[in-house]
Amino acid sequence: MAGPTLSPFIDLTGRRILAVDDDRINLRIIGGILRHEGYEIAEAASGEQALEVYADFHPNLVLLDVMMPGIDGFATCRTLKTTYGDKCAPVIFVTAKSEADDVVMGFEAGGVDYLTKPFRPKEVVARIRTHLSNQQLVEQQKLLVEQLSKANAAKDRFLGMCAHDLRNPLSSIRGLAELMVEDAIGPLSTEQREIVQTIHGASQSMLQLVNELLDVATIEAGHLKLAKEPTSVVEIVERSVHLSNIEAAKKNTRIELVKAGSDRMVDVDRNKIRQVVDNLISNAVKYSPRGSVITVLIHSDESGAGFAVRDSGPGIPDSERHKLFKDYGRLSSVPTGGEKSTGLGLAISRKIVEAHDGTIGVENIPGRGAEFVVRLPLSK
Amino acid sequence: MNFSGSIMLVDDEAHIRKFISLLLRHLGVDRIMEAANGSLAIELYKKEQPDLVMLDVNMPVMDGLETLRALKAINPDCVVIMLTSLANRQTIDQAAALGAANYIRKDAPAEEIGRALSETIEACFEPDEPAGSPPPP
Repeated sequence: MAGPTLSPFIDLTGRRILAVDDDRINLRIIGGILRHEGYEIAEAASGEQALEVYADFHPNLVLLDVMMPGIDGFATCRTLKTTYGDKCAPVIFVTAKSEADDVVMGFEAGGVDYLTKPFRPKEVVARIRTHLSNQQLVEQQKLLVEQLSKANAAKDRFLGMCAHDLRNPLSSIRGLAELMVEDAIGPLSTEQREIVQTIHGASQSMLQLVNELLDVATIEAGHLKLAKEPTSVVEIVERSVHLSNIEAAKKNTRIELVKAGSDRMVDVDRNKIRQVVDNLISNAVKYSPRGSVITVLIHSDESGAGFAVRDSGPGIPDSERHKLFKDYGRLSSVPTGGEKSTGLGLAISRKIVEAHDGTIGVENIPGRGAEFVVRLPLSK
Repeated sequence: MNFSGSIMLVDDEAHIRKFISLLLRHLGVDRIMEAANGSLAIELYKKEQPDLVMLDVNMPVMDGLETLRALKAINPDCVVIMLTSLANRQTIDQAAALGAANYIRKDAPAEEIGRALSETIEACFEPDEPAGSPPPP
C-alpha cells in the first residue's frame, strides 16, 4: 500500500504552452521569453490552427490573441472549453488594447487572465508562472485525494480482513475459557480458576475490540446495511437492561428501567439499535462507581421515541466533549472496575443512530453524572 | 437441556469444533459427530443420520449454503442450525429460504449459544421424543 506522495516544490520546467497569434513577430517574442523560462512552446497562427495543435500538443496553458482573422480568440476559447470541458487548459488572452470590454468578454469566454501588448517580459513570466502553479496544485490535489481515498479503502479492507480472521479463534478461546470456568471439564483449583478467568477476560475484551474495528471498517466502507422493521422501543431496551444487569452485578451496580410515556414503534434494525443500547449501558456501568444505580429512561412524544441512559460517573468535561463521538475518542475518565475501552463504541453508536435518521447527544447532570439521549423517528 | 438425539457439527476450523462440542457435552448432549467440511458432512450424514446439524456458513471446498441444499435434498426434514461468524442478513435470509431452522453467531457467549440451541430444539422436536424425527411442518 503506497502512501500519498506530493513533490515539495513546484517545478514548472517542461510545462507546455500553446501561443496563438496571427502576428509572427509577436509569436517570436513571446516564444523567446517563455523558452528561456524552460517551458515547451507550440505556436499557432490562427484560431483554426490553434484547435488542431491543441489536440496533439495537450498544452498546460494557452496564450490566445483576441484579434485574429478567421475565428477570433474568444470563439476559439469557447470551442476549446466546449471540447475539453473541465480538462481544458487555462486560457490567457492577449490583447493589443486594454479595453475594459475586451477584458470582460475574455472572462466571459472562459479566460483566466489577460496580457496586453506590447509585452512586459517580467509581467508575462510572472502571470504565466502563477497560472501554471495554480493548475499544478489543483492537479496534485486531485491526485492526492485519489491516493488518499485508495489508501483509506485499503486500510478499511485490511482492518476488516484482520478483524474477521481474528474473530473466530478469539471466540473459541473465550468460549473454551468460559466453559472451563463453569467446570465443564472438571473442577478447577483456585489458582487455575483465576488463570482461566484472566484468559476469559482478556479474550473477551480483544473480541470486543475486533468486533468494533470490524464495525468501523464496515461503516466506513459504506457497507452499513440496515434491516429495518417496526420495533417496540420498550422491547429492545428491556432486553438489553436485563442482560446488562447480569454483567453489572459484578460491580454491585444496578440498572433501573423507567418508562416515561407510552411505548412507541420505531422503524429500526433491531440488532444495530440493541448494540447502541448495550454500548451506552456498558459505558454507564464502566464509568460509574461500584454500587451505583444506572437509570435507563424510555421516552416518547408525538415526534419521536427513544431512550436515555443516566450514569453516576464524573460527567463529560467540556474540554473533551468534541472527542466524545469520534473514532478512538478516549477521554480522561478511567473505568472504575479496570474495564477496557477502545474509544470506538460511541463513534459506532453515533453512526448507527444517524443512519436511522435519529440523534444522539449527551448532557451533564448537575451534581454528578452524564445522560446520553437517543431519539429515533416514529414508524409512519 | 432436554435432548437425547445426536448432533453433527460441521466447521472447517478445529478450534470451533472443539469449543462447540465441549459446549454441547456440557449441555448434556453426548452423541456428537464432527465433519471438517461440507462433502465430509454429507458422507457422514448419509451414514449416521444425525437428528440435528450445526453447519458453518463459511467453509472452503463446499460452503454452508451449498451443503445445506445437499442435506435438504437427502432429507427435507433435517434440522439444520447455521453457524455464522458475521450476522450477514443476506446469508441468513438465504439459509432460511433453504430451510435452515435457526442461526447462531459463533462469537456469541456460550450461554447465548446454548439458549439459541435449546430454543431450536424445543421448536423442532417433540418433548421426550429421542432420536428425533421432527414433527410434520
